[in-house]
Amino acid sequence: MSVLLEARELVKHYGAVHALRGASFSVDAGEVVALIGDNGAGKSTLVRHLSGVEQPESGQILLNGEPITLGSPTDARVQGIETVYQDLAIAPELDPAANLFLGREIRRKGLLGALGMLDNGAMREKAKVEFDRLGVSLQSMSTPIGSLSGGQRQSIAVARAVAWASKVVFMDEPTAALGVVQRERVLDVIKRVRDTGIGVVLISHNMPEVLSVADRVEVLRLGRRVAEFRAADATIEDLVGAMTGALGDGEAA
Amino acid sequence: MRRTRVAAVLVALLSAVLVLTACQGGAKGGDHTLSFIPGTKGEPFYISMQCGAQAKAAELGYTLDPQPPDKFDPSLQTPIVSAVTAAKPGAILIAPTSPVAMGAPLKEAKRAGIPIVEVDTALKDRSVAVSSVSSDNPKGGGLGADALAKLVGEKGPVLIIDTTAGTSTTNARARGFAEQLKKYPEMKNLGTQYNENEASKAATIVTATLAAHPDLAGIFATNLSSTEGAATGLRNAGKTGQVKLIGFDASPKQVADMKAGAIQALIAQDPAAIGASGVQQAVNALQGKPVERTLLPDMVTITADDQATLAKYAYKTKC
Amino acid sequence: MVAKLSKITTVWIALVLVLLCVVFSVINPAAFPTAFNLKTLLVEAAVLLVLSVGMTFVIITAGIDLSVGSVLLFASMCSALAMNSMAGGDSTAAGADVAFVGLLVALVAGAAWGVLNGLLITVAKVPPLIVTLGSFGAALGAAQLAGDGTDVDTVPEGMREWLGFGNTLGIPNMVLVALIVTLLGGWLLTTTRFGRYTFAIGSNPEAARRVGISVTRHLIMVYTLVGLLAGLAGYMSLAQFGATTLSGHTTDNLNAIAGVVLGGTSLFGGVGSIAGTVIGVFIPAVLTRGFIITGVQAYWQPIAVGLVLVAAVWFDQSRRRARNNR
Repeated sequence: MSVLLEARELVKHYGAVHALRGASFSVDAGEVVALIGDNGAGKSTLVRHLSGVEQPESGQILLNGEPITLGSPTDARVQGIETVYQDLAIAPELDPAANLFLGREIRRKGLLGALGMLDNGAMREKAKVEFDRLGVSLQSMSTPIGSLSGGQRQSIAVARAVAWASKVVFMDEPTAALGVVQRERVLDVIKRVRDTGIGVVLISHNMPEVLSVADRVEVLRLGRRVAEFRAADATIEDLVGAMTGALGDGEAA
Repeated sequence: MRRTRVAAVLVALLSAVLVLTACQGGAKGGDHTLSFIPGTKGEPFYISMQCGAQAKAAELGYTLDPQPPDKFDPSLQTPIVSAVTAAKPGAILIAPTSPVAMGAPLKEAKRAGIPIVEVDTALKDRSVAVSSVSSDNPKGGGLGADALAKLVGEKGPVLIIDTTAGTSTTNARARGFAEQLKKYPEMKNLGTQYNENEASKAATIVTATLAAHPDLAGIFATNLSSTEGAATGLRNAGKTGQVKLIGFDASPKQVADMKAGAIQALIAQDPAAIGASGVQQAVNALQGKPVERTLLPDMVTITADDQATLAKYAYKTKC
Repeated sequence: MVAKLSKITTVWIALVLVLLCVVFSVINPAAFPTAFNLKTLLVEAAVLLVLSVGMTFVIITAGIDLSVGSVLLFASMCSALAMNSMAGGDSTAAGADVAFVGLLVALVAGAAWGVLNGLLITVAKVPPLIVTLGSFGAALGAAQLAGDGTDVDTVPEGMREWLGFGNTLGIPNMVLVALIVTLLGGWLLTTTRFGRYTFAIGSNPEAARRVGISVTRHLIMVYTLVGLLAGLAGYMSLAQFGATTLSGHTTDNLNAIAGVVLGGTSLFGGVGSIAGTVIGVFIPAVLTRGFIITGVQAYWQPIAVGLVLVAAVWFDQSRRRARNNR
């Protein structure tokens, strides 16, 4: 498989804090890569750079081998890169379809559409197709999602990113606040997304979860990639060792 | 960088405030200055009073320093009184915006040795001012009742619209009206409603009352906002002219409405005379001459056909 | 869908309104349930309704606008002054062209304050409560300054006759204007992308920002809309009263907010409807009229209005809690 999105030697300071010290990272099409590391290792910072929220001081970001500049989250979305944020970034008072299409509403055809009128029927239909595809089951398409369970909200946030991602989806701790059943459901959604040929990047602290869903694991420590594992070959001890620095730098980039 | 920008904005704001205050001019001091603190800015009533006072002051060799508050509000008038007291003018002419709340700052002025003359309104504590000049409001209300009785043929239900409960002058007008109305046994008083100084509320009072009493014969409105609102209410109801409306005061708007037939009669005060006698009393006090404790200039009833009275008593917006 | 949620709460608050009308009608069947009473009720609520439609949008974005009453005065002052200067000082006899320019001036003057409010809130990042409290004072001051402290009381009589007191097909034109504003407002809020973004920003501004909605631009547009409607309301008030009524409109902001909140719009943003606002505006209006008609003593009226307002919101809240706990 070819490398889809790649970061090379990204550097970023926040005042005196050296958050990224030449961090590198890559994800292929149709694979789940888990990005792990201790708190402060730079995982979230790296994802913010790859999703266009922040820009590096030096280093390169490549998409399909071509260097690109991600000046804003909108730039990243235009390139087919979507993000599921830890705090979900959903509108709790809106219904599932409205959330799925937020910022990308379908307008009616003709004059009414030019006046800004929305085609709620079409959006709801397409949303239903999307939710079915990812196995997200909702009793009602018309309740505000604030009244749904945490797992359902999470699934909707994931579905929204996936629906619009043509290349890469970043997921920051997508299962952190979930119960066992809901967690399984979200992980299931992640696998389905991968099977559609999209690269999925998963940030997680949960090692068993990482090993069960990821194809590959990249480990960050102190703002730099320190190890890479094939999930099938790795153990939890390997991962923890690499994270804490107890193990020597494995296949460091 | 950021801090300097904030500082620059602050400096700009500060200088803007300074420029504005410089334009306004602070309170003036000196024995030959009479500070004039009306109830509010811009009302023709107070402007006419100021015109009368100014003319009288000039005649007696004094200058009048008007310091009106933005609204009829003791919390806005109090700082003005304090500032004026600090500037030590010869005397203060004031229309207290509250009979009680304005007592403390004015006592302070009195303690500073400044004689105080009340114009239009008055404090409850009669020991503060040397003289009070105000229209005889109950008597004015009574004039209204007589005028309305004449207009409606001495019979039918009548509504009173007052501004707010607690405004001594307008409350006294309403009381005087109700009192005098008793002399006409066939006229029924429907009671007093308060419009909170909002024209829109007065319109609602009128149309709602008309819904309950379609035979309403007349309305007595105690000030400008209640008269304006009542006229609009009657027009909404299509009863202009049918229900006789008597207003208080003779500001240009009310005079125009009367000419247009929305109002049938006005009870006018004589603000210029109030201002002039206020100045006279203040100057008497300054020069050690005898001072009248209470003066009650007359009010008049004006109707649209009475051009002469109209010309004399209509309030001015400019001197 | 959002509309559905607010519809449920609207039904309950509408019941309160119906109940009030029934009670007053029973107490005074000859005076309350009459065409005359309905007509004057609608005419007198028209100005506040226009303000409240704008306020609904602002409150749904979790904002607030305390400046509407003063902006109304400012707009009517600018409009009156412009009409008078066009007509050489006294516009009483001026024609439709002058009145039309007056309308434009009122709309522009109102919208300008709205833009200013919006810029201060979004770009300078000052909380809406403070910004609009500031412009509440500043717009009133500007109106007094423009009019040199006095009310302007010369207004084209034709405009008063047509807009202030005229009818079309038996419906007062004041009511028609308010009705059109309300329908357009409801359409904008429930069916368009503008409305959807208004809800989304009130629900979670960060989420809106991250999906690429320009929150700054949208909020400026919402505050401009309120300003524009305050300008229109100022023109309507001018047509009704034939003067700028500088001493009035001091509590319009609170009345509009009360109407919007009574109508089920959440002060925390994200939830609300124009239908609810209509009902919320009419509850206090019906109460005020009802109490006068039924002869409740003047001092009791504000107490009773206050009690009913609090009770209506409490009733609405407990219905909502009951539904959410189901």
